[in-house]
Amino acid sequence: MVKVRRAGEKDLDNVVELVVRLKRLNSEFDPLLKVRDDVYVQVRNWLSGFMNNKNKLLLVAESDDGRVIGVLVSEVRERLFYEPPMEGVIMDFYVMPEFRRRGIGKMMMDEAIKMLREMGAHVISAEFPAQNQISVAFYRKYGFRPMMNTYVKET
Amino acid sequence: MSNAGEDRTKKWYEVSIKVARNYGGKVSMMPKVPIKGLRDFSIYYTPGVAGVSLEISKNPDLSFELTWRWNAIAVLTDGTRVLGLGNVGPEAALPVMEGKALIFKYLGGVDAIPLPIRVKSKEEFVAVAKAIEPSFGGINLEDIESPKCFYLLETLRRELNIPVWHDDQQGTAGAILAGLYNALKVVDKKLTGVRIVLFGAGASNIAAAEVLHTAGVPYENMTLIDSKGPLHADREDMDKLMLNNPWKYNLALKTNKERHKTIEEAMNGADVLISASTPGPGIIKKDWVRLMNKDSIVFALANPVPEIWPWEAKEAGARVVATGRSDFPNQINNSLIFPSVFRGALDVRARAISNEVIVAVAREIAKYAEERGISEDYIIPTMEEWEVYPRAAAAAAVEIVNEGLARVSTTYREELERAREIIAKARASMEKLMREGLIREIPAELVR
Repeated sequence: MVKVRRAGEKDLDNVVELVVRLKRLNSEFDPLLKVRDDVYVQVRNWLSGFMNNKNKLLLVAESDDGRVIGVLVSEVRERLFYEPPMEGVIMDFYVMPEFRRRGIGKMMMDEAIKMLREMGAHVISAEFPAQNQISVAFYRKYGFRPMMNTYVKET
Repeated sequence: MSNAGEDRTKKWYEVSIKVARNYGGKVSMMPKVPIKGLRDFSIYYTPGVAGVSLEISKNPDLSFELTWRWNAIAVLTDGTRVLGLGNVGPEAALPVMEGKALIFKYLGGVDAIPLPIRVKSKEEFVAVAKAIEPSFGGINLEDIESPKCFYLLETLRRELNIPVWHDDQQGTAGAILAGLYNALKVVDKKLTGVRIVLFGAGASNIAAAEVLHTAGVPYENMTLIDSKGPLHADREDMDKLMLNNPWKYNLALKTNKERHKTIEEAMNGADVLISASTPGPGIIKKDWVRLMNKDSIVFALANPVPEIWPWEAKEAGARVVATGRSDFPNQINNSLIFPSVFRGALDVRARAISNEVIVAVAREIAKYAEERGISEDYIIPTMEEWEVYPRAAAAAAVEIVNEGLARVSTTYREELERAREIIAKARASMEKLMREGLIREIPAELVR
């Protein structure tokens, strides 16, 4: 049985690995999401700041044999102009291929929503590449709708 | 050796061009009704033919009885992966499709229409295939780039009511399985118990993995290797595969349970190597074959030069070796499969050809060779063993009937007789035309 829990320091290597996989997956959807050469270092530095930070939430899914097979990176942000004022943002969300289609994503998201709520968030949002139809289908299935668009062009 | 091979290939190119020019292509349409005078056209054409039209309009399936549809297929391509030449375009694919049509007629008695099409997307290809469905009893897809070929086969198999076949996938997979059945008998191993390495993860090996699974090989016992090494569920490029080649992705999830990460790990203790990758020699190393289990089986199928020479594989411990070439023993050749599969499928007016049909045909071809006495150097019939085609056709027809995919029923005996007769007639007509000088011999100066 897969269990979902907060990540600890000992999980950092595995979490970095999975988040880099997600960044690489993102690269498939837009040339402006091409990962940098130092992506590993960047991800590691970024995620180090998640430990012991009351506004950040880093969840992992652990398989029977103790492997980290899923990761969810999120934080609580303040919405300066809108109600309700606190938003829980799912920034990165990745499950290893062989563990997909088994409800692990749903389990992780439910847990994240619960904990982000406890952290004060009354809105939950998710960020992912616009062309990622798998994510679109996933979030739509669980009642999310598109709200803000990000449009890009090179200068 | 490779220089001599290149020279010989060039020579064949020159002869083929001259012959193509001399005959203006390779096939033509041939009437099958007697014409004694123009009055006969009142039967074959207007006004009589309107009666036939009206009948069919009441029941479109009558097109299989009242027109040539029962025996006609399209050899359909977009010309994106012609032989080993790559994307040469539909016009350049035409001589190849003509050649295929010729084999269909000669070995299977099938009226195959060469049909390269100009399409910009896979969706457009699907639309064309659907649009031509009423004219044909089947569609043979040919020389289409991977992974588009997987999408097209999967989509068209699902959406059309006539059999759709992609020879580079299913034909080759069927021939591989036929050879493997007998190779395993020679070394006294069981299909369900062997560990199989599939080197190359293109159209034929991906199809081979699926067909082997249908034949009873657990996915766990197989490992596929592509240019990046063994496929496995943790590989770094899995997400890319999921988006661009879901067929390969799904096999990566299911195969290689032991998570072999290098070619050496995968080869260590393997019983069977099926290589369908790039022309050799030297693509498969002798050292890799040495790592295999006792009494190993090596199929090196790249053309024109196998990934490893047969004698090298044997020196490295392989007991049975097969290639794609007719000048070595054990030629794994899809020409043994596709004419018979379509003969059988057309004769029962099949709606589809399932993987089980491929397994049944492979088993029949293997049985045919076994009856003649198999050995390390004879695991599969040669193309000249004429009797194998009607037998494979009968096996295909019976399996299609058993699966409920046929519009008309038949028995093995009936189909064996029918297929023999149709194929013999096709060949007799050609021989007669040649004897009468209506098909002239190739002028000697063209082949010098």
